[in-house]
Amino acid sequence: MQAVRALVLQHLRLRAPPSVAARVGGSGPAAVAQCWFARGMSAPADGGGDGGSGSDSAVRARVVELVRKFDKIDADKVTEMADFQKDLSLDSLDRVELVMAFEQEFSIEIPDDKADKLTCCADVAKYIISESQSSNKNAGSS
Amino acid sequence: MASTAGYLARRAAQKERVRLLYRRALKDTLNWAVHRHLFYQDASDLRDKFEANRHVDNLDVVDRLIDDAEAQYRNFQHPDPYIVPWAPGGTKFTRNPPPPQGIEIVYNYGKED
Repeated sequence: MQAVRALVLQHLRLRAPPSVAARVGGSGPAAVAQCWFARGMSAPADGGGDGGSGSDSAVRARVVELVRKFDKIDADKVTEMADFQKDLSLDSLDRVELVMAFEQEFSIEIPDDKADKLTCCADVAKYIISESQSSNKNAGSS
Repeated sequence: MASTAGYLARRAAQKERVRLLYRRALKDTLNWAVHRHLFYQDASDLRDKFEANRHVDNLDVVDRLIDDAEAQYRNFQHPDPYIVPWAPGGTKFTRNPPPPQGIEIVYNYGKED
């Protein structure tokens, strides 16, 4: 349903600056309803749903969110700098599973020797960002 | 003292081997699973196989177990594994490479004079 709505809105995007909505609406409950309508019917500006090459903070948030969902980790302890092995008490096989989850979330391939060195969320985010930048440089802007 | 160092070195090497083996085996499990919900069960079984020998501490036995597991992994390797599209060997690898330096494309569609 959400996907269909996004698809329709991609084609029907209306530019409605807030001043226009306010002038038409006047005051009272009608204005509130109109405001809500205008907001509900405008697609997000960035298009959404791109393949993990968002801004740095978005990547970091996604990594933390993924680690939080990992079933062997206590979600309250997860922070950006928390060490997987020491703070989150994962063993080496759990870390392998976690790295595989990162690979699938961001559709990247992490080499075996690099996978061993990812010890906290910030590390992973840094690696993913550097990887996407270097692949952009190699592949041009297509 | 030397034997302790040798023991620790061997132990670390075995740990590394097990880590790599588990990583490859887990990826191979995903290659064999046609649906995600099948993969979860297979991955859990794989993990149980590794966990069953968690407390073995005789180095020779550990070596033999790792050898057996590696042989089993090689036997059941997927012939056509999944490769991330942008990685070497993937379907998008080196597709649409950028033009070489110094070549410029002018888009004026025949209106040049």
